[in-house]
Amino acid sequence: MNADGGAAAALGGLTLSPEDLARSRDRSRVDRARSGRRHFLLVWLLVGPGILAMLGENDGPSMISYAATGATYRFGFFLPFILVTFLMAMVVQEMCMRVGAVTHRGYGELIFQRYGKVWGWLAAGDLLFTNVVTLVAEFVAIRVGLAYFGLGSGVAAGLGMLLVLFTLSGGRYWRWERIVLGLAAFNGLFLLAAILTKPHWGSVGHALASFGPFPGGSLNTILLLIASTIGATVTPWMVFFQQSASADKGLTPRDLRYGRIDTVLGGILAALFGCGALIAGAALSPHGGASVQGLAGAGFPAALQHSSGGLVATLFALGLIEAGAVAVLTISASTGYAFGEAVGKASSFNASFRSALTFYAVNVVVAGLAAAVILIPGAPLLKIALNANVLATVLLPVTLVFMVLLANDRLLMGRWANGRLINVAVIVIVIFVSLAGSAYGIDSFLQTVHLIRGG
Amino acid sequence: MSEWLLPEPREDEEVVMFLERDQLSAGRRVRLPRARLGRGGHVLLWVLRLFTLVVGAMVVYTFVAQLG
Repeated sequence: MNADGGAAAALGGLTLSPEDLARSRDRSRVDRARSGRRHFLLVWLLVGPGILAMLGENDGPSMISYAATGATYRFGFFLPFILVTFLMAMVVQEMCMRVGAVTHRGYGELIFQRYGKVWGWLAAGDLLFTNVVTLVAEFVAIRVGLAYFGLGSGVAAGLGMLLVLFTLSGGRYWRWERIVLGLAAFNGLFLLAAILTKPHWGSVGHALASFGPFPGGSLNTILLLIASTIGATVTPWMVFFQQSASADKGLTPRDLRYGRIDTVLGGILAALFGCGALIAGAALSPHGGASVQGLAGAGFPAALQHSSGGLVATLFALGLIEAGAVAVLTISASTGYAFGEAVGKASSFNASFRSALTFYAVNVVVAGLAAAVILIPGAPLLKIALNANVLATVLLPVTLVFMVLLANDRLLMGRWANGRLINVAVIVIVIFVSLAGSAYGIDSFLQTVHLIRGG
Repeated sequence: MSEWLLPEPREDEEVVMFLERDQLSAGRRVRLPRARLGRGGHVLLWVLRLFTLVVGAMVVYTFVAQLG
């Protein structure tokens, strides 16, 4: 009898845990779909981690940030720039999926074993802290959405925690993934809201084709906005999440083609919905939209009600609730994976509660901590939410550099290691994203010590 | 039978044949050796250490000061 109460099976000298059996069941469906050459069924079975990483990053603060950019600058440079940032995210996330599918191990686990405890704990520790702060921002976004319907912080905290507990209760990765995918589909509400604002599509097309007009204002403000837009598209938790989720789902090198479809599909959807939030926000531009404080209260939905009507406002508010909720689920999952891998414990949605207690406990505890913060009267929620991305600027370059090292590691990756062409593209992206992230962090520091003035 | 809902496989089908050997929990518990880095790799990691110390201090200071 094993730790799971005798549920494991023995086969050919190998002990199969319930986690193995659950994954084997999912893989048997993939195997039969592949044997039957059912291409669309294979896509359906194998998509998930890529879409969830990308739509999870279209979180509450990111969508409010896109809407604020639209309200301030209307259509122009930032509309096509969102597409470029997701293109970069696709290249990075494809590597995460590939390393997870080939090694069957999570990112944190590989860093610990290949590069030692110092780098491992730095990555896991920083991710843990950054994720808790980001989760607070997600609960704030849920609260902003709910505030439009007259509901308060208690409902936001309760709803978020109920979702976390409900999705964790099944003991199957497949169940968790499908529930969160179903929720993430509602990220499309931002696109629907954008269409209903009846934007001038000629201006949208012109902006997409010309990357213009380039926004006015101080150079510092523009650079900060560019850096924060990049920082809102490629983040450390996405790297941890997609690699670990790909391994947990049971992807293998034979599935790489479908893993790429998953990643590209996720990137396209996230870019479309992100542009939707910006276009919806642009409807506020003629109505003093630049001054709307989105996270300070029910700012954007209420302002949209005045400019575009109740339906657009309702869709935007529901979109914020969805964006925050999906991010709560994916970010707490990435924290669970990272911490479980750091302490060498089982980290899988396919594992039972008893055998992966650390993984499940961390999922609940980080979400619970963040939910508790928004219930504290007078807590500096706006400041926490606005500074969440600054914390990620330290970890981002470290995470990306190790990701490139892992994807080039021939011992781990064999013939699936990065080729020369992908390495050139990836190194350019990593340098660009790291410089932008670092510039954001350093700029925030210089503003804090009053060496430069904020925009 | 729906195209999207294949039936659960029989118990005797739920066997290791659908998983790669290193996909099993037991296989994943095998520790990997430390990576051997060349000179470029060592330089890169030292640059990362310096970056982490300097930018980490700035970012922590910023976060604490902004909350204060």
